[in-house]
Amino acid sequence: MNRPPDAFPRLPRSWWLKHRYFKAYMLREATVLPLIFFLLCLMGGLWALYRGEEAWAAWLVFMRSPLVVALNLLALAASLYHAATFFVLFPRVMPLRLGRRAIAPQAIVAGQWVGVMIIGLLFFWLFGRT
Amino acid sequence: MTHRALSIRRYLPDQDQASYWQRYEVPADDSTSLLDALHYVKEELDSTLSYRWSCRMAICGSCGVMVNGIPRLGCKTFLRDLPHELRIEPLAHFPVARDLIVDMDVFLDHLAAVKPYLIEDAAVGTFDPAAPTPHRQTPAQLARYRQFANCINCGLCYSACPQFGLNPEFLGPGALALAHRYNLDSRDSGKQARMPVLNRHEGVWSCTFVGFCSQVCPKHVDPAAAVNQGKVEAAKHTLIALFKG
Repeated sequence: MNRPPDAFPRLPRSWWLKHRYFKAYMLREATVLPLIFFLLCLMGGLWALYRGEEAWAAWLVFMRSPLVVALNLLALAASLYHAATFFVLFPRVMPLRLGRRAIAPQAIVAGQWVGVMIIGLLFFWLFGRT
Repeated sequence: MTHRALSIRRYLPDQDQASYWQRYEVPADDSTSLLDALHYVKEELDSTLSYRWSCRMAICGSCGVMVNGIPRLGCKTFLRDLPHELRIEPLAHFPVARDLIVDMDVFLDHLAAVKPYLIEDAAVGTFDPAAPTPHRQTPAQLARYRQFANCINCGLCYSACPQFGLNPEFLGPGALALAHRYNLDSRDSGKQARMPVLNRHEGVWSCTFVGFCSQVCPKHVDPAAAVNQGKVEAAKHTLIALFKG
């Protein structure tokens, strides 16, 4: 078959800018970027804890700086957005059955959010007390 | 009856190696499908236009084209639902043969690779009309794969899939959905034969769940779900193989 140069078009690097659906996908994938920052902060905290009281105090000051707080709030928003997209995908990847009946996808999505709330409350109870 | 403009990406390899846009005006009302509009161009305006079609009712899967960058079936797409500016192109990610006709050999090769048919352990005996032995299947067993059996091999999912666009070796949503359809069928015992093809980089693991394949599927097959259920099966297959040694 006759195959001209533009017949098997190679996807340009900007393929995901082509329409809304691909942009939403890339946004979902990009949520990992602020999460990397959050993880580095956590690892820095562990390292500071290991080095001693002075380093720990310095880490606490670092964590309270407005830019770090803003970036970590962004990480929280990104992880919640990722969770929202992931929870919707979950019943499609792992359709669950209870005996002979399939569990409704909405029930699985709701169940996951209930799980997030329980873990959130647990953390609030553990770390929210001063 | 109003008039609508269609810009069609023309490619006539016997005349020119470069493709170009050609604009046509077609009459349209609320019942005009994109396929009707293409027929009008072919019959009344320009007989050199080439495109595929057959059934006009979203069963044959022949008339897939890109409409403003989104893969759609011509017969299931109505001009009334589309923006005024229409740009019609051949299905993305496939080599173009002529005008709106693409070469789908890549897809057909991938489809054949996953053995999309019932495979039985026991040899099939000679059919005896006096005592036929039907394949029995309960409604519950049918329900497990029914959604994935609605595929009409139109290839829209391949044009929607950026992973296939980046790497045509990827088996792609359609073939993987059909592989999953047969793996779920209670009458089939070919899963072991399909797994080595599915459980590799060009199999289920190339999918990153962009999910656009399921958005464009005209038969609501949800190939993205099938591919990702296939990942669960592939992971199980790997684990079992690991413990068996």
